[in-house]
Amino acid sequence: MSLRQRLLILFSLTVAASVAAVAWTVLVRMRTVFEERDQQETALFVSQFQREFQTRSSEVAASVERLAVSDRARSMAFEIAQSDDSAQYVTAAQTMAQDAQLDFLEIVGPDGNMVSSAQWPARFGYPEPAVKAAPQGAFLKQEELPDGSTTLGLFAVRSIGNAAPSVTLIGGERLDKNFLAELPIAPGMTIGLYTMTGSSSGQAATAAIPSFNTRQLIGVNGNIVGAEQYSTLIERALRSGDQTSSILYLTSRREDSANVTAIPLKNEAGQVLAVLTVALSRAGMVEAQQTIRTTAYGVASAGILLAIIFSLWIAARVSRPIERLAQAAEDVAEGNWDTRVPEEGPGEVEVLAQSFNHMTEQLKNQSEKLVQTERVAAWRELARRLAHELKNPLFPLQITVENLQRARALPEAEFDEVFQESTQTLTTEISNLKAIIGRFSDFSKMPKPELERVDAAEIVRRAFSLYSGGKENAKIDLKLDVSSEPMPLEVDRELMHRALSNLVLNAMDAMPDGGILTLAAHPVESGIEMRVADSGEGLTQEECERLFTPYYTTKQHGTGLGLAIVQSVIADHNGTIAVESHAGRGATFIITLPRANG
Amino acid sequence: MLRRVVISRGVLLGMLLAAAPCAHARTRPAYGGTLHVEIAGDPWQRGTGIARRLVMDGLTDFDAAGTLQPALALSWKSDNNDHRWQFQLRAGVVFQDGTPLSAANVVASLNADCGDHCPWNAARVLGSTVVFTGEAAMPNLPALLASDEFLIALTAKADGSTPAGNIGTGPFRVTGFASGVLQMAANDNCWRGRPYLDGVEIRVHRAVRDQWLDLSVGRADVVEVPPEMLRQARQQRLNVVAAQEAQLLELHVDGSRALANPMLRGAIANAVDRAALANVIFQKQAEPTASLLPEDVSGYAFLFSTTRDMNEAFRLRGGLNTPPLLLSSEGGAAMQLAAQRIALNLKEAGFNAQTTAAEGRQADLALRILPMEARKPAYLLALLMREGGEVAPQGAEYGSSTELYRTERDFLASHTVIPLLYLPRAYATGPRVRELELDVDGSPDIADTSLEDAP
Repeated sequence: MSLRQRLLILFSLTVAASVAAVAWTVLVRMRTVFEERDQQETALFVSQFQREFQTRSSEVAASVERLAVSDRARSMAFEIAQSDDSAQYVTAAQTMAQDAQLDFLEIVGPDGNMVSSAQWPARFGYPEPAVKAAPQGAFLKQEELPDGSTTLGLFAVRSIGNAAPSVTLIGGERLDKNFLAELPIAPGMTIGLYTMTGSSSGQAATAAIPSFNTRQLIGVNGNIVGAEQYSTLIERALRSGDQTSSILYLTSRREDSANVTAIPLKNEAGQVLAVLTVALSRAGMVEAQQTIRTTAYGVASAGILLAIIFSLWIAARVSRPIERLAQAAEDVAEGNWDTRVPEEGPGEVEVLAQSFNHMTEQLKNQSEKLVQTERVAAWRELARRLAHELKNPLFPLQITVENLQRARALPEAEFDEVFQESTQTLTTEISNLKAIIGRFSDFSKMPKPELERVDAAEIVRRAFSLYSGGKENAKIDLKLDVSSEPMPLEVDRELMHRALSNLVLNAMDAMPDGGILTLAAHPVESGIEMRVADSGEGLTQEECERLFTPYYTTKQHGTGLGLAIVQSVIADHNGTIAVESHAGRGATFIITLPRANG
Repeated sequence: MLRRVVISRGVLLGMLLAAAPCAHARTRPAYGGTLHVEIAGDPWQRGTGIARRLVMDGLTDFDAAGTLQPALALSWKSDNNDHRWQFQLRAGVVFQDGTPLSAANVVASLNADCGDHCPWNAARVLGSTVVFTGEAAMPNLPALLASDEFLIALTAKADGSTPAGNIGTGPFRVTGFASGVLQMAANDNCWRGRPYLDGVEIRVHRAVRDQWLDLSVGRADVVEVPPEMLRQARQQRLNVVAAQEAQLLELHVDGSRALANPMLRGAIANAVDRAALANVIFQKQAEPTASLLPEDVSGYAFLFSTTRDMNEAFRLRGGLNTPPLLLSSEGGAAMQLAAQRIALNLKEAGFNAQTTAAEGRQADLALRILPMEARKPAYLLALLMREGGEVAPQGAEYGSSTELYRTERDFLASHTVIPLLYLPRAYATGPRVRELELDVDGSPDIADTSLEDAP
């Protein structure tokens, strides 16, 4: 990863992290503020609800009180007490409730049995237990209705007259959606009332809580959106009897969530008869959060864009000279010592560029000096070799010529004999000189390989058959180790034979006292491998390193060109040659050639 | 029972005392004048419609004492063990539009009345007689033909056209209907003779309280007094004419669906609190009963217990659960209240019953009122059993109370009809009305009524 990319990522992450941190902080703070506001509004509503509830309680109590002291009620009570016949008042409660604008009214006789009921006229004659335990003020009570349903009401009990036992009135108002509609509801607030089912005395609230029924949860307009989502909260409030709050997701949209508080409504005995729900919409907060998120995304995007631009600018200032330096260093490593970098950039980068240029200049100068030195050394080596090679035949030539000069003084017969011997020697030595010059000439002019498809086994076997069985090689045990698998090569058959023969001859030279010479050919992963191994004294590490240097030889009469030629042939076939040797354990030359395709 | 008879006689004595000054001023009824009647229901309602018997007559009729009398049929006789009846029509009777009464008209009217539920298999014309034949014996056919169900109306005019309204042979003919008032004029050609009144105006669907107000200011001459308000009417010293035990309040049980099990029906019969209905809802003006025939008619009504027995109700229900039952009621607020009370009784017995004001056959239970049109036990039982779903009592005319008792007991044992109360039927009259009498079923005998201030 380049410096530029690192800078880009670093700047982008920095900007994004900063924006995310700021957005998160704002969101958390905003949520806290909204929750505090919701709590305040809920507390305010609860307070207002309690005041309204108290007002309603007073109104109900006052209405029942007015009925109880009315002439009509007193006359009725007197008649009932005197005649013990309450049948004629079986429908009186309906009329009286209508006049007093009460939803519920029951007239209970001195015996505790109902004389008349406005809400359930057919219940006359049945006992009304609420009369006995009724508090002085208004109280909550569940009222059964003829259709089997129950409804929640706010009731008050008043006796007609002071004599005991007396006729009693139980009047009340229904706590329904109309009651909810009169509550002070703030914008975004939804009020609901969940009424328990069960008997009027509220036993249902103390027993196992019945399963949640959405039809029992009413709102100002009847139904409540997402009423089924209220189940857990309401059941929790019913079980605990305490005010409970939770965030409810009414639909799949986050905007349709609400912070809902469930307030249990209890009777005098502390039994929960209903649950008032106050839902404050979180739409405003969610929308604000979405706005903040959108802004954060925008800011982060802009920041990342700025980071890209900034990183490009930084790259232009810092990373680009460094990249040029890196590229130049790679060029130098590849041998291009003429590489130069512009000496520009901020401070240290410019100094670095100048130093680099100075370094490459020094390297180039050193290299040229080294080449010149090596060239001189090569010429000296060549001259030494040539002198050495030529000195050997020249000395017999000089001796022979001097012998000839001295032989002029000899008798003719002797002179002829000397002359004959001398000319023969001269011919021989001149042939040696030609041979020496020929080898030098061959090294300078290696023929171009004529490639053909040959199996490596054939090349190895040819060399094996050439050198096996010779009398001069009697002390040497020649072995062949060739794989049976096909080992196709695209090589010049003759050049490869010469190279392999050269190696075989070297190996034989390395075992003057005899030994084992092994010729092998095997396919390997990188191609075809041919080995020539001897069991001679082996080579030192230094000999191994310099073995393929032209004119280097370990033989007394070698030219130092044999292995150089072998290496040249192998290189011309895109192959490699290497030597493995350990002192006292012989040496192995390993030729690796590419396998022919097809 | 004794208390009821005493009260009834007291009422009659009061009526006589109230009428005494008028009788002193004018001893003979005078023709003329229009009687203003107000009712809460439909004047053409079968069984209780006040206009039906003013406009139409039956082949037979019950008099004020409940005795069967000839009407459009002068005589009748039965053959083949009551499988064939022959009714000889009265001669010279014409419908109010002048169409002569014929046997063909009678047959057409009767077949239109009962359709597929006629007690006979065939009714055919034989000269001036109508012949009824049935596969089953029809011992009570003359009594059935006196009922409100089988009044004769003209179904086709002489020219073949269909009459626009009800045209009968009764003492009054319909002249119009405007602003909720049914107007009728005296039928001068009535075979019974012309009524005293020139006309009758019936204001329909009038609330009882408004009827009483109209009576107090003279806008009405005859108004209804429902049983539950009879006590109040007397307390207010209205001039009340009442017929005790004129109607039977019964609970009709549909035994074909949720209550197919007779044990469940028996549980319902035992769960109903008749005393509460009679004493509270009907203000002690009703008589609890568990039989169809009153004690003074049959003599054996005491054998049917009216006591509520919740233990027996629970035993009969035996823990069986029924689907929610629908209890319908006809009539006004008192009937609805009675239905609610019965539903409450059933709830105590483990049933879930909901009331509905709608009258319909789909209800599992129906609270309804039946008129008690006859006083002869066999006739009355036949009429009530027919209303209870029996086409006609099988077998010969009941010769003894024992046989009658067995028939009624067996019928009630199925609990498809649960008798609850005998209800009075009463009217309050204004000072103009002279000698308004009620038939045995409580229907006002307006045809024989006259006005004090008639010219």
